[in-house]
Amino acid sequence: MQALHVRKAPKRALLAILSLAFAAACSEDGGARPKDAGIDASGPPDASCFENPQTHAEIINACTTAQKVLKKPNLPLLQSGGALPPLPP
Amino acid sequence: MRTLAISILAAGAIAAALPRAAHAVPCDQVPGLANPVYLQVGDTQLALMKRLARALRDSAPRPVSLVFTTSGSCTNIRTIYDRTAIPATTNVQYAPSIAENPSWDPATSPTLTCQVPAGGKVPDVANSALFTSACTTETPPATVRHVQGPVQAYVMAVPKASSQTAITFEEAYFAFGFGMAGMAAPWVDESQLFIRTVTKSTLLAWAANISVPADKWKGVRRDGSPMVVADLESSTSPEKALGILGAEVYDSKRSTLKSLAFQARGQYAAYWPDSTPTAFDKQNVRDGHYTVWSPTIWMDTEAGGAPVNADARYVVDMIAGRSVTPAPAFDMIAIIAAVGLTPDCAMGVKRSFEGGPLSRYQPAESCVCKYESRVAQSNCATCTTTCATGVCRNGFCEVR
Repeated sequence: MQALHVRKAPKRALLAILSLAFAAACSEDGGARPKDAGIDASGPPDASCFENPQTHAEIINACTTAQKVLKKPNLPLLQSGGALPPLPP
Repeated sequence: MRTLAISILAAGAIAAALPRAAHAVPCDQVPGLANPVYLQVGDTQLALMKRLARALRDSAPRPVSLVFTTSGSCTNIRTIYDRTAIPATTNVQYAPSIAENPSWDPATSPTLTCQVPAGGKVPDVANSALFTSACTTETPPATVRHVQGPVQAYVMAVPKASSQTAITFEEAYFAFGFGMAGMAAPWVDESQLFIRTVTKSTLLAWAANISVPADKWKGVRRDGSPMVVADLESSTSPEKALGILGAEVYDSKRSTLKSLAFQARGQYAAYWPDSTPTAFDKQNVRDGHYTVWSPTIWMDTEAGGAPVNADARYVVDMIAGRSVTPAPAFDMIAIIAAVGLTPDCAMGVKRSFEGGPLSRYQPAESCVCKYESRVAQSNCATCTTTCATGVCRNGFCEVR
């Protein structure tokens, strides 16, 4: 049975915020965060994960202790709903 | 001046890694090169070849001499399917025995070189560092046996000076599929995108994972991984530079390069192959958080169900993690772990085609504890004969 991990969301959000503070305090360049990435405490990434993943989508989003990067790049060519335009010929 | 110095250093590093060919003689005239097995493998497998070749030459129970050359995975498949001989006088590589060179280090020392004997030689073993179906959909000859070996991960790498830490599926799609027009900043300079030619597993594996066919990629195509490494190391625009490498190639270059965490399509976050950027545990490959990997495929020939070259079959079965007789005088899992590959018995996920969906996997005989003891710290119970739970294997209580 799918086990979407939602009950621990507040705890995960708190951990994400703490991680952000830690990353800002400990980065090698004196506190500057990487230019392309950061930790997003409010979005879905840390709000849910799967504890008993079965499908591909659940496996790649399973709960883990591994270090992760949350990234929301600005891609002008990305279409609405995240659709990709066809490749150029 | 700095660029010139870096280029000279990079060229020197490549030269140092190249095999010594000054006095190459026919391989069948090299003293002590007993029980030769000829292999044609992907260049991502070079580290495995060197370490295994050294171990096998001095393995008292059954010494074997690996004689190997590297080429693209698709080329290697064709070679063994079509029984194409490596031409006579072609330089091929082998490792010295301990008696020949006791201080030889597979991680840093160059291989030795001999020449393919007169008449040429069809490789006894061919390797593809990805599913063969990524290269050809034809039915394999009945005389070629395929087995899956260790898992090979692939990374996107940047110079150490780059501030980038991650790349998403969509960014990679636009960077490599559109080049400058993709506007996937900072990767908008096609002269700073270092890729591979279309027969190479590194490109084909990434192509399947970012939905950009191999022949559509924008960037500078390189024939060998060392060239991509040199390109990245010598780039004068480190923020814009981006290259593709086998993870085991990258693992040996961490002092000068960084790998990017990758976020697959539909994934909430980006992950490195390892649990952290500095670990070597391939945790995310093994549990499915890092999706860019392929099983290595090892092929040898048989006739009437029996191997044509019993030593070749011995080597292939050993690489694939199968029981071999006699057992070698070394630890094969340790060798696989040392070169950045992941044994199948340590995997927790599987897939059936290049870039295909992942599903859960439990190997028949797990080696997770043993593998983790080599690359990180194993939390498994140790044992000598029995375990309270699980199976005692290789000194650890494995789950099965």
